[in-house]
Amino acid sequence: MSEVIVVTSGKGGVGKTTTSANVGTGLAKLDKKVVLIDTDIGLRNLDVVMGLENRIVYNLVDVVEGNCRIKQALIKDKRYPNLCLLPSAQTRDKSSVSEEQMLDLISKLREEFDYIILDCPAGIEQGFKNAIAGADRAIVVTTPEMSALRDADRIIGLLNASNITRQDLIVNRLRADMVKRGDMMAVEDVVELLAIKLIGVVPDDEKIVISTNQGEPLVGSNTPAGKAYMNVCYRIMGEEVEFEDFSKNGVFSKIAGIFKKN
Amino acid sequence: MKNPVVIKSNRYGIVIILDKNMPFEELLDAVKDKFKEAGNFFKGTQMAVAFEGRILSFQEEEQIVDVISANSELNIACIIDQNPEKEEMFKQAIEERMAQVVQSSEDGGQFYRGTLRSGQTLEVESSIIILGDVNPGADVIASGNVVVLGSLKGTVYAGGNGDDHCFVVALDMDPIQIKIADVIARCSDDSLRNTRRYKRRNRSKIMQPQIAFVEDHNIYIESITKDILKDIS
Repeated sequence: MSEVIVVTSGKGGVGKTTTSANVGTGLAKLDKKVVLIDTDIGLRNLDVVMGLENRIVYNLVDVVEGNCRIKQALIKDKRYPNLCLLPSAQTRDKSSVSEEQMLDLISKLREEFDYIILDCPAGIEQGFKNAIAGADRAIVVTTPEMSALRDADRIIGLLNASNITRQDLIVNRLRADMVKRGDMMAVEDVVELLAIKLIGVVPDDEKIVISTNQGEPLVGSNTPAGKAYMNVCYRIMGEEVEFEDFSKNGVFSKIAGIFKKN
Repeated sequence: MKNPVVIKSNRYGIVIILDKNMPFEELLDAVKDKFKEAGNFFKGTQMAVAFEGRILSFQEEEQIVDVISANSELNIACIIDQNPEKEEMFKQAIEERMAQVVQSSEDGGQFYRGTLRSGQTLEVESSIIILGDVNPGADVIASGNVVVLGSLKGTVYAGGNGDDHCFVVALDMDPIQIKIADVIARCSDDSLRNTRRYKRRNRSKIMQPQIAFVEDHNIYIESITKDILKDIS
């Protein structure tokens, strides 16, 4: 049984693409068959973050327009045999693809993959509508900033309106030291406002910048962000990883614990 | 002698037919007598009034109105000039007024279950009770009162028909803007800028339900106490 997950946020720059890359790679490391679809037509990034830019021949628009077969456009990641990427087109725009075409494409991919992960563009226009059209569940990514929260809240409302009620929250780029000083919202405050299920907290980690520049997702590595993303993957699969810790000590002390270890 | 002042009424108001030839001073006395007799009949009613049979100057009209109000308990809602659509205008004027009174004082309310998120607007022609939060960027517009059984962090407009007796209640009152009738209050710029307000604000203190209401054309927000509830009921 396959699951279609859209990674979305409303606001740009909060880490949708990084999250898609790491969650997709993580699930593939856990022996799941995964396809990553970059739906950000015209501003493609996921291939760069995955380090597969040089292998693009066909793209999403080619597939929906019938210029090639799906198999031809899928890029197999040599590092992880279970992982494929369907890149976006760079020379077209969001109107090149319709919601019906996305539904059709996803129903074909369902036969072959356990997880279909859609990297959603920023905004709430056609690109967003395309990305959520075929999704079973959503991962809403936000940073602990007011502007990102406003947009995440709006996105959750739009997901509800589209009957995608299975929503999980990732709070990205959290800085425990700033929370401690009271200069940043705590995870509890974010969860209280957005009122959806928390599936992961990813600390702000400079290794992420290095990893995205190198095109090598750091999920599963011995870094704070790498561990956090791996835990997200387990939770996506329904495992109750370290949730005891969350309830016992609260998210804050858990994050603090991660920092101490390193 | 013919009666110098005749009162005719229809559903929405009265027409006062005045003698054409009588000197104005005498006519005024006649009006006074007439309404003194009928004073109790009009007790506390609200009506539109028209004059017929005589062309009145503005001052004369005013004098007659003064005499009527001094000698009876009739409330004159408005004075209608003579014209063929007289009754239609009576009807409209009174019905509009009544509709407003009925709508704003209507006790009826509606329930909304769920959280209103950024970009969502809830608009009702009554009072509204929201079982959930109103998040920043969401708007609630009601003709009557607004009660939020949750956190109010968005924008709310109560008394949309101009009734400044309407109120806003929330379990956690932290709105961006409140408007009641034509009075607007916004949260202070300091609290918007201050990120520290997010530091365990709700956990450090027990949530206190608060009410926002209008007094002297200002919006006041106070904790709900028995005295406050007595004042608004």
